[in-house]
Amino acid sequence: MADAIIEKARELFEGQIDFEGQRTAERMMTIALCVVGATAFLVGYITSNVYWTLYVGLGGTAITFLIVVPPWPIYNENPVQWLPAKGKGSADYDIVVDGQRVTSQPTR
Amino acid sequence: MHNTLTRVQNVFGFFTSVAFAVAAAIAISVVLSSQTPSASLQLRNVQVVKGRPHYYSTKREEYAHITFSLDADLSTLFNWNTKQVFAYITASYPSDSPASIPESEAVVWDAVIPAKNAPEHHNTYIHPTKSTARPKTKKERLSLNKAYPPGKEPGILKLDKQKPKYQITDVSGKIAERNNATLTLHWNVQPWVGALVWDNRRTVGRWQGLKGGEAAFEFPPLKATEAKKEDLKTATGKEKNRGSPA
Repeated sequence: MADAIIEKARELFEGQIDFEGQRTAERMMTIALCVVGATAFLVGYITSNVYWTLYVGLGGTAITFLIVVPPWPIYNENPVQWLPAKGKGSADYDIVVDGQRVTSQPTR
Repeated sequence: MHNTLTRVQNVFGFFTSVAFAVAAAIAISVVLSSQTPSASLQLRNVQVVKGRPHYYSTKREEYAHITFSLDADLSTLFNWNTKQVFAYITASYPSDSPASIPESEAVVWDAVIPAKNAPEHHNTYIHPTKSTARPKTKKERLSLNKAYPPGKEPGILKLDKQKPKYQITDVSGKIAERNNATLTLHWNVQPWVGALVWDNRRTVGRWQGLKGGEAAFEFPPLKATEAKKEDLKTATGKEKNRGSPA
């Protein structure tokens, strides 16, 4: 029972996302931070006040953290297609090693 | 990016790179703003007396007390990236053997002039005002505690018969009757991010060089009669860290 709780905690902290999701997350991070940086500079330049650059920059970075870091469902839409689990007895699928078909049973 | 922790690390790492790039852009954007500083500096009086100029002086030596008038407009030095401008007036004179010994330069007065949105600081300059009447409204009271005259902007300096902040001495102990001395106004623009710049007399791009702000004078002979103590007082401004002797 404690194992189930620890497993849930581990999943929460790991926040695993699939590979397509990782690619999307990295692209989101790059675009979001570049936009935040450019906007922060322009806002400060137009208002002639450096403080606005700081506020927009820090606020935009906080928003980027919220967009990219938590494992949102959109990052988990292409889960990896694992092969089916190994069955007992004769193999459910072919494993070919050095031109010879082998099974999951250890050879004697 | 497979992990919450690695995502946090990657986002923070890229954030620091972006912050550095934005700071570099801010520092460079200063070049686009135009500057038109102007100043007019006159010597009012210079007295050379023999005595102990500082509270820590162990022996009597000659020191000079230089009073001046300054009318300067440094307000265009304040762009969005200016935190404060440090304005200072120096007295410089050649040495006894100019071929081998460089000229001496001593600061006579200085002021820390913050930009309007800079945070409060106890060492910022408080511009002297002529009227000694007590301020009636809060607005008046606040306008008298600024680094610029009431109703003007940071960078405007209107000083008449200003006492110096520091009395200057020479390394040799003798400063009387030195010739070819010059009183010069300098400044140092201290930005929020970027490079420090000092005063420029040549025009560079949109930054006009300063014309004026210099006054030539000669150090008089040692005062034969006793100089009055009040005449030799230095400016003890209301800012907390005063020049010595405070």
